[in-house]
Amino acid sequence: MKSASHIKQSNVQSFLEKMPTIFKWVSFLSVLLLPVIAMAAGAETKAMSVEYRDVPGIGSRNLVWIVAQQHLLLAGFVLGVPIFGWVCEIVGWKTKEARYDKLAKEFTKLLTSAYATTALFGGILLFLLIGLYPKLMAYLTDMFFPSFLVYCLLFLAETATLYMYWYGWDYMQGNKKAFHLFLGFLLNLFAIGIMIVPNSWATFQASPVVVGDGDAWARAWMAMQNPTWWPVNIHRLIANVVLGGFIVGAYAGIRYLLAVSREEREHYDWMGYVGNFIGVFGMLPLPFAGYWLMREVYQYNQQMGITLMGGFLAWLFILQAMLIGVLFLGANYYFWMGITYRIPGSENSYKKPIMAMLVVLLLCLGVWMTPHTLVASLAEAQKMGGTHHPLLGVFGVMSAKMTVANIMILVTFMSFIMYWRAGKQETAGWAKAAKAIMNGLLAIAAVAVIVLGVWGYFVPAIIRINYFSVAQVLIVGFIMVTFTPLTALLLKSAKTTTEMVWGKMPIRAGYCLVLNAVMVILLMSLMGYARSSSRVHWHIYGVMRDTSDYAFSPALGYAAAFMSLNTFVYCLLVAFIFWVATLGDKAKAQQTKAVDVPGGAPVMAGGAPSTAENMKSGILENHK
Amino acid sequence: MSEVALLQIIGLCVVGTGVLILLFIKGMFLRVIGFVAMVLGSFSLIALGVPQVASLPPAIEKFDLAKVKSPDDLASIGQKIFFSKGQCALCHSIGPSHSARCPDLNGIGAKLSQEFLYESLTQPQAYIYLDFRHATKPEEYPARMPHINKDPIGLTKPEIFSVIAFLQKMSGEPISIKVEDVMESQEEQTEAVEVALNTNSVSTSFVLAESDVAP
Repeated sequence: MKSASHIKQSNVQSFLEKMPTIFKWVSFLSVLLLPVIAMAAGAETKAMSVEYRDVPGIGSRNLVWIVAQQHLLLAGFVLGVPIFGWVCEIVGWKTKEARYDKLAKEFTKLLTSAYATTALFGGILLFLLIGLYPKLMAYLTDMFFPSFLVYCLLFLAETATLYMYWYGWDYMQGNKKAFHLFLGFLLNLFAIGIMIVPNSWATFQASPVVVGDGDAWARAWMAMQNPTWWPVNIHRLIANVVLGGFIVGAYAGIRYLLAVSREEREHYDWMGYVGNFIGVFGMLPLPFAGYWLMREVYQYNQQMGITLMGGFLAWLFILQAMLIGVLFLGANYYFWMGITYRIPGSENSYKKPIMAMLVVLLLCLGVWMTPHTLVASLAEAQKMGGTHHPLLGVFGVMSAKMTVANIMILVTFMSFIMYWRAGKQETAGWAKAAKAIMNGLLAIAAVAVIVLGVWGYFVPAIIRINYFSVAQVLIVGFIMVTFTPLTALLLKSAKTTTEMVWGKMPIRAGYCLVLNAVMVILLMSLMGYARSSSRVHWHIYGVMRDTSDYAFSPALGYAAAFMSLNTFVYCLLVAFIFWVATLGDKAKAQQTKAVDVPGGAPVMAGGAPSTAENMKSGILENHK
Repeated sequence: MSEVALLQIIGLCVVGTGVLILLFIKGMFLRVIGFVAMVLGSFSLIALGVPQVASLPPAIEKFDLAKVKSPDDLASIGQKIFFSKGQCALCHSIGPSHSARCPDLNGIGAKLSQEFLYESLTQPQAYIYLDFRHATKPEEYPARMPHINKDPIGLTKPEIFSVIAFLQKMSGEPISIKVEDVMESQEEQTEAVEVALNTNSVSTSFVLAESDVAP
């Protein structure tokens, strides 16, 4: 035996001597890696049986909640901003007004800085999910793996396009502008793709479909086409625009509050107006998209719909009404302040309509916030004759809430129209007739919405849901679609009686913009909790049960505290990102003051348009 | 102190801090932070003021075939599987429904034999005819029904028998599945698991882990 082993040893030695050095190193490393491989094999066996891992202290569910919320909110901003940034660029290109191009560039600057942080949180979320929920992730990976690849490709395409779009902004002017706009289009196309692919994973969890036979691609495609996928896609697309608009508005609001020069105040006042306008513009169709989503949820699984609207989440919708109400009030208040402070002299002529609108909004909000059932003691319930209050009970049902939501949308739309028309005198011969028709249509629409709402109490629910509610939405939509072009036509030939004055808004306007943004963030957090909790104790509704310690859905108070924490963290995160993004501007502003040489420092991509222009003009002045 | 009371105190502190910042701090950015804190604290306090209801998960049901004494017991297990692990109710309804994506199963146990039901569940493509409507080579209509005995649903033979028993009972038919048949199929299943245990420990452990609701 000894000799045999000796022979073997010498053979090994000679073999080793003949081996090239690189192979020796590879063999050495392989030997070193053996324990690791063995451990990995052991881990694989163990991993197959591990369903959950926990994080001490905070708990796995809470940690995922925070990270997922931050990622989703950042992603909402990153996917929403390119939409209106691109539209703004088109407006600038068509009207040849440089300020729109500058604004679009400023939007994109914020987007670029937020993009990396979004991806970072996405990565952290993925690692946490793989580590903390291995069983669920294995199931979803098995179901959706081909779509993961598509997602990666879309992400690569989005990143490359964003680089070209942002860094090529100054270069692609003049003849090259059309190509730049095409890049903007691609950016949005990929961004929408990036949004809808993961939406399919999340909506599959809420409304899974049975996946038949087929290859991996066919199975993934079948799973993606689940009933709530497109309602959520549309809802999120609009909500992202709203979020982006109000966040940009809040950014402008804070910059306005911090502004030291008149130019800055004017610029950020205007930017705040645009942000608020975009937010309101998106907010008007958002309740309709939400209604469609809820309708699909009910159609998919009535129990899930009842859990949301009438079960343990019912009070959540009262909180939602409160947040939406404050948002509507905030957005309208900002418009009204605009009329008062930007258009001197109009405050008196619009005082009465503003007061009437405020009263209508508050009444509508009161109805929207009325709960269906009240928390009452037995004695109180006996006095009321049941849990439904005899007077308020009628406002707690969906028919009343749909009606007031539509009225609030109408009022907000009219606030915008009023702001648009303020300080202008129509000169067209048909202006009087057009205004009379518009007033008549508005009155008919309001009456029709109310009549349908009241009639809704006396018909079966299915008739109300399928016809009456849809008709209410169509009526309001008709008003918006007809009034906007008609007003634009009226104002085309109108003469300006009072020039718009920017930078004169009071301090509370800045706070109002911040409040609107906080309301939208809270709303998104609240509805995210609703969507997730509607699955109750299922990871995948009816398919994979949550057997972890966190299978319960927390009560509203605890959840709201978490939402507030998430909102605060998000606000700080965004403030930090924007602060970093504007450091370059500050440096350049200082340079402009200090540098007194022709040609100075070159304008870098990312500089605020106003600052860049100030810098150029400063240099030119120095030349003179 | 209850969780709600603790959160209320935290909320009040946050609002108070916000008010103090707004009253005494001049720095505009800090004032905005104070304002945001005030809004968020108020929101939390309002949310803590509404009825606090948590949704607790129901207990996990274990199906123990050893306790099955009659076909009715089997049907009640089948009913639970129909609405849970089997995922049948994701697409099928029992009685007319607007939301059902696949045929209504009301009375199906009376219309189809036990063998046909079993085949429909395990070979859904078996009786689907070819599509000759196109000029190209005739193709099979894709069945929307998945193989119920394969992943991801993967019902075991005793579970499928239980579902059939439920369908028959729900249709007012006498249950043709015998308890002995189910026990026999259960033994077959156990033997298969044992064979798998001897050959591949990893895959077996997975099968066992997955079979939470399996008998």
